[in-house]
Amino acid sequence: MRLYQPAETIETLERFLAQPEVREAIVEHRVLPERPAQTAPCPAWLDKRLVRALHSRGIEKLYTHQAEALEALRAGNDIVVVTPTASGKSLCYDLPVLQAVAEDPAARALYLFPTKALSQDQLASFRELAAAAEMDVTAGVYDGDTPGAIRTNIRSAGQVVVTNPDMLHSAILPHHTKWFQLFEQLRYIVVDEAHTYRGIFGSHVANVLRRLLRLCEHYGSKPQIVCCSATIGNPQALAETLIGRPVRVIDRNGAPAGEKHIVVLNPPPIDLRLGIRPGPLGLAHRAAMSFLRAGRQTIVFGKSRVGVELLLTGLREALREGFGPKNRVRGYRGGYLPTERRAIEAGLRSGDVLGVVSTNALELGIDIGRLDAAILAGYPGTIAATWQQMGRSGRRREASVAILVAGAGAVDQFVATHPEYLFDSSPEEARLDPTNLHVLLAHVRAAAFELPFESGDSLSGVPTDDLLHFLAEEGHVRLADDGRWYWASENFPASEVSLRVGAPENVVIIDTTGAPRPRVIGEVDIFAAPTLVYENAIYLHESRQYHVDRLDWGERKAYVTPVDVDYYTQALLAVTLKPLETFAAAPAAAGERAHGEVMVSSIATIYKKLRLETHENLGWGKIHLPELELHTTAYWVGLGAEFDSWRRDELDVALSGAGRALQTVASVLLMSDPHDLGMVAQVRSPHAEKPVVYLYDSVPGGVGLAARLFERHAELVAGALGLVEACRCEEGCPACVGPRLEAGGLGKRHARRLLTLLAGGAGKSDLAQVA
Amino acid sequence: MNTVAVGTLLGRRLDRLRSSGASPAASPPVGRDDHAAPLALAIGGRVVRHELGSVVVREEVMELPIEVDRLASLPYPIDPAAPLVCIDLETTGLATAAGTLPFLVGVGVWQHDRLRLDQLLLPDHSDERALLEILRTLLPADGWLVTYNGKCFDWPLLTARYRLHRRDPPVHAGHLDLLPVARQLWKHRLGGARLAIVEQAICGVERTDDLPGHLIPERYFGYLRSRRAGMLAPVVEHNRQDIVSLARLLAVLAEQVAPPHSWAAAHPGDLFGLARGYARRRRPAEALAVIEAALAADAWSRGLEGGAGLHRELSAERARLLGRLGRRSEAFTAWLDIAARGGPGAGIAWLHVARYREHVERDIGGALTACQQALTVADRARAWGEPLYAVESDLQRRLPRLRRRAFRRRPLNPGVRRAA
Repeated sequence: MRLYQPAETIETLERFLAQPEVREAIVEHRVLPERPAQTAPCPAWLDKRLVRALHSRGIEKLYTHQAEALEALRAGNDIVVVTPTASGKSLCYDLPVLQAVAEDPAARALYLFPTKALSQDQLASFRELAAAAEMDVTAGVYDGDTPGAIRTNIRSAGQVVVTNPDMLHSAILPHHTKWFQLFEQLRYIVVDEAHTYRGIFGSHVANVLRRLLRLCEHYGSKPQIVCCSATIGNPQALAETLIGRPVRVIDRNGAPAGEKHIVVLNPPPIDLRLGIRPGPLGLAHRAAMSFLRAGRQTIVFGKSRVGVELLLTGLREALREGFGPKNRVRGYRGGYLPTERRAIEAGLRSGDVLGVVSTNALELGIDIGRLDAAILAGYPGTIAATWQQMGRSGRRREASVAILVAGAGAVDQFVATHPEYLFDSSPEEARLDPTNLHVLLAHVRAAAFELPFESGDSLSGVPTDDLLHFLAEEGHVRLADDGRWYWASENFPASEVSLRVGAPENVVIIDTTGAPRPRVIGEVDIFAAPTLVYENAIYLHESRQYHVDRLDWGERKAYVTPVDVDYYTQALLAVTLKPLETFAAAPAAAGERAHGEVMVSSIATIYKKLRLETHENLGWGKIHLPELELHTTAYWVGLGAEFDSWRRDELDVALSGAGRALQTVASVLLMSDPHDLGMVAQVRSPHAEKPVVYLYDSVPGGVGLAARLFERHAELVAGALGLVEACRCEEGCPACVGPRLEAGGLGKRHARRLLTLLAGGAGKSDLAQVA
Repeated sequence: MNTVAVGTLLGRRLDRLRSSGASPAASPPVGRDDHAAPLALAIGGRVVRHELGSVVVREEVMELPIEVDRLASLPYPIDPAAPLVCIDLETTGLATAAGTLPFLVGVGVWQHDRLRLDQLLLPDHSDERALLEILRTLLPADGWLVTYNGKCFDWPLLTARYRLHRRDPPVHAGHLDLLPVARQLWKHRLGGARLAIVEQAICGVERTDDLPGHLIPERYFGYLRSRRAGMLAPVVEHNRQDIVSLARLLAVLAEQVAPPHSWAAAHPGDLFGLARGYARRRRPAEALAVIEAALAADAWSRGLEGGAGLHRELSAERARLLGRLGRRSEAFTAWLDIAARGGPGAGIAWLHVARYREHVERDIGGALTACQQALTVADRARAWGEPLYAVESDLQRRLPRLRRRAFRRRPLNPGVRRAA
């Protein structure tokens, strides 16, 4: 058989699945039937230029969801459009906006996208449509990258202003007087990718939108709002919470889709007794190779930056050996520079790029066209994200393929053994809480800065007088003679609050080979830096290896030179946790459950050098970097007197094993990404003076996971016990309590005993049995 | 299950607030005039009532002669025929965003040899609309604003306040911001161009008991809390002094900077700044005149700190301006002169010499010699650890090209190589 022979997608899939090693890994193979287009004629009121523009792009009729959106907006509703990737969602807002401008050139619109990349993308497609309609519409992106000269122009003349919530919060709203033309004439607010506005970020964005609407009211405009969301469990609730107004849901997708094959693969265990399973990379690599060789456009999603780089290296290596199109396979992730990303996106659309290996950076609606195959190396952590990533493949007429390769982790194994979970349960609900006191207070401050509050006003449905009184005590606002609350401080409140809980600072990675003009090759965020770009680390970028020669922590710069070595490096983090304040505590079986604020300090201590293929340890080195502190919320379980009789080493393995199981079940219960929760087990907590397992929110400030775990403690413990009991391994494996520990392989048994006690079961007999 | 709610620190404080029954209704708005009258007394002003509120206005007229016509020759945007209006704000912060309140506006309008100063002071947040409307009446539509950093701060902030209250800002004919002017003229020897530094060094103003600018916002908040009118007197005095300094600075420009007869006594560095002003406004002939005056200034005979570098830069600027004016042979002589003097400026100078010899004199050999001189200078600079990147990159292209041309020409017409 020739290695590189163009073949149809389905034929390629069948050949791939027929391989014996692959066949035994198949746990699910479903075919979603072809769906024809459902269309409706363009509304009669639509401007003739727009109709012509649509015709010139080959659009004679609208999809039903587009027509429905147009009519709903015409009737004065706010709407939320919920349809999959590439279903022509942007027409749902671009058309009404252009129609508004056609009817009244003074009309303006504000587009909000969660990332800068999406802003550029959507602006380009909006301009194309406007140009096709031969309409002269001033549209521009206003974000941190916008040059000063253009800013003034966008402020005064931009009919369509494209920005992100962060920019709106810190640059536009506080300076609203410079934007008065926009606010006076605002007709539409477009909130795209609304499903990304969840958790603390979403709670912030909801308040930013309230501030926006408050200013519109001041300037006398009444904009309508168009939200767009990927498929989530509760689009209406999300949109309504986000904007604080009722919305009409438009979710009957009229876009056609070709037949789609969805395959779930679970790599068979290498050692059943120890429960050792291979990671997802091997099978993912194999699948990707099959499609790339057949000349099918393929996207591979890795779960981490390192995973992406390893996959990319592997694919290029394999393609090189077979003289295949190795340069047509690219990497794509957060650390790449914007220009590099734009080039890759364009290459995907034009077909020049055959394959791309990406982190979830490509999950959002960045336009890369439609691909033949999507391969997920590991479960992305949520059902919604899984469908989004799988949605990257899918042609209008031809068949397409999506393959999920389960990893060795517990959550992955849960999905692999219960594939119906993917197909039958509804996607996660996006939750946000605009009335979160900390968030709300921050925005009351910012809003008071923008405009005085009247007595009896409210923000996000919460009366503000109490909060303002509180702020007045702190000296931020004052009640003036006219009974209004005015900002009365030198501070600039919007700059004190970052909407995204992640650190705003990045470490820039600089290749010094080209001195005196060193080249910036990428960046990593500050929390990731200690484990990625410490001195002597091997940093992977576009599958090239770079040696980190020097890390200037103060300047946030890492200096690297390209190298070619046969190892990679992995850093070890030492994590300590200190509770700061308990929000709530309650007795539980065999102990106590609680949640509250904690300080998690992590310090990268040493790194290991591991050989590329075999992962064997080649040596180690020390990392000298300052400790990073994470102020967040945690849920914890303190063990009661029942455990006083346990030996310290027993407790040690039991706690960390039970902790692992709790962590796994927690992320399934909360439908959060497993990385969103960190775990620390303390045999003797210096604060509680007893054994404690902490599960903490791994983003600063927390997104409310801890409180929900606290409420669902019983379910959580029962689930963890179930997980350990159901696992087929004998002495502990990565899928339950973690790999077999040194101490005699009794880790699993101790952890099980501990969980049984916590679940209120009879631990005594079990104890006797072990003893 | 028995849940013990502990609550957050913030939550507890809010709860306490709620239970104490403190609510805005409990503190009824106070009558407006209660604040204005004591304030007027404390600063020696009067209360001006307006349907939108009350404002305290302090007026003063002072003798301050100025020969406005002389300003016309300066390379700065000003129309001496327009009424000159000095403006300075005292505010509650440094951002020009919506939450910054200008609570004191000083307006100084020249009427012949007199400066009429009006200071508008805000008794309360709620009186701002009145202040803005009264301010509008003080600003003539054909007026020319004179400010210190007013292009970036004072005027945009005032505009923002009018916009916030949904009013159009007052119109004016033009705006001269003296901060960039002062920076260009004096920063080189003062180390900075803050008004406090400039007024002292240039206008000889000595302030006593001045309230430092950074304390002003808190002073106003303190007044709003305590309503002790006397607290604001130093702020009013600070603002008055700012306006007076602004006016004096304008007088200095008219009397000491603009007239050519004053240049001989001026600091050559100041003149360099003035020349740059002319050059930037595309007035190279005047720039050259100032540079030549600077090179002939009295200061050189007294010895000047850091004079060698300044002299070199002035000479280079002179050569450059000669080139811009099309006086190419004079420019060439000037460059050759600088090149012959050696030192770090010689690298660029040799390049200019090379350019002239190659393109005007058609003397490839001579150009090559000049390039080699430039290379020597660049190599020496690199050895000193201060590489001349611009010279090096220019040479990277120029040297090989000249070598090629020299090589091509030689066998063709060896006899006429040096004939231009």
